[in-house]
Amino acid sequence: MADDTTPDEGATPTGFEAVEGGPELSTGESPQVVQPEGLERTHPTVKATFDRFPDAVLRHEINAGDQHVLFLESSRNLELLGWLRDDPDQKFDLLSDVTAVDYGGGRPLQVVYQLWSITYRRSLRVKCELPLDALEIDSVVGLWSTANWLEREVYDMFGITFRNHPDLRRILMPKNYAEGHPLRKDFPLRGRFSRAEQTRRALDLDADDYYLPGERGPGRDPQILGESEES
Amino acid sequence: MGLINIKNAQAPVGTPGNESVSEGGKGKGLPGLFGAGGPTFLTTKLDFVVNWSRRNSLWPMPFGTACCAIEMMAAAASNFDIARFGMERMSFSPRQADVLICAGRVPYKLAPVLRRIWDQMPQPKWCVSMGACASSGGVFDAYSMVQGIDTIVPVDVYVPGCPPRPEGLIYGLMMIQEKIKGETLAEHEALRAEDPLATGRPRAAAEEVEALAGPFGNSTRQNRVSGFVPADVVERPDDRKP
Repeated sequence: MADDTTPDEGATPTGFEAVEGGPELSTGESPQVVQPEGLERTHPTVKATFDRFPDAVLRHEINAGDQHVLFLESSRNLELLGWLRDDPDQKFDLLSDVTAVDYGGGRPLQVVYQLWSITYRRSLRVKCELPLDALEIDSVVGLWSTANWLEREVYDMFGITFRNHPDLRRILMPKNYAEGHPLRKDFPLRGRFSRAEQTRRALDLDADDYYLPGERGPGRDPQILGESEES
Repeated sequence: MGLINIKNAQAPVGTPGNESVSEGGKGKGLPGLFGAGGPTFLTTKLDFVVNWSRRNSLWPMPFGTACCAIEMMAAAASNFDIARFGMERMSFSPRQADVLICAGRVPYKLAPVLRRIWDQMPQPKWCVSMGACASSGGVFDAYSMVQGIDTIVPVDVYVPGCPPRPEGLIYGLMMIQEKIKGETLAEHEALRAEDPLATGRPRAAAEEVEALAGPFGNSTRQNRVSGFVPADVVERPDDRKP
């Protein structure tokens, strides 16, 4: 059957050929929104940030209608986010989310901070781009404590290291997970290990190992099967 | 509606301890009262009484992880009321449970928990795999999901559906009751003996688990489609382990 369906050289693959080849990954720059100039003047915080840190703000976008996005120099994220939180005219005192985006094709990963100013009822999204060979950024746990688990999740799913994070370890995947970081575009959907190996590793881990020492309450020591009969 | 695993589902597959029990001569049936050669009037009546009491007082251990658990709760609530069939109460302690109802998807992180609950349940015990995800992984053919809990624990009845209706679960539980009807005490050791060494281990052999990976996944970017990938080969030095 395969003999009479040999595709021509250079022809667009169809059917299972196309399926097995997978989607084509585009390469190059991250997607950028083309928008009229001057829109950064419509958001007071964006305007103030451009005026105060002209060399640290890389560019500005509007997504989804009215969501202003600021691209910052990733090495200065702590300084600028601290200013956004503390400046009396900005007061972004609520960090809604920390997450990351991988557009694939070797493009840099984006760390996304979703901010909300309760005082001024103002929203802002801040992005920092990290090249794949330097996935490190300063932790913002010192600014917003809620970033603790959110950054752990980004570390677990994308492999981005947050400097000076107080407790950087996996939060969703098991402790002994060694297949990489599942939300990266280069991660195969079924994982890197075989199903048998995944099952073996999962059962290798005692359910008690999910807790750190002292994390569980007193009097809840792990039960060891078969020990009570002997003693 | 459901599939009964007619072959002895309780015996761990491929565990050496199970054969050694029957080789010791005790598995052939007790002599004398219980009839060394075959069933007697006494043993069949005793079987009947024991099986009758067992099948009419099955206490479920609910292990609900997803939407199937909603249907399981509906089956336990007043409209369907599995208490009519002897499942008088949901036993939220594995020590006081007879039948494990695994309702919903089980990620690998939860696999040791499921295995431990099964190990903690006393014999006699049975297991119902409720829904597509528990039985086969369902649509979650992904890195994080157990592809059928029968790789972790032995399953007696699979209830298909996504999720199955409460009638489906009740039908599956009644099939467990039918299965209990056919048991005899003479085969007690063959049916109920457990290998202590199998505690906390996968039920299925590695080849069986590997056979679950079909030639086509629902992803087009697979670095493997099937076949055995040895564990020790994969070593990624850039993985940051906490």
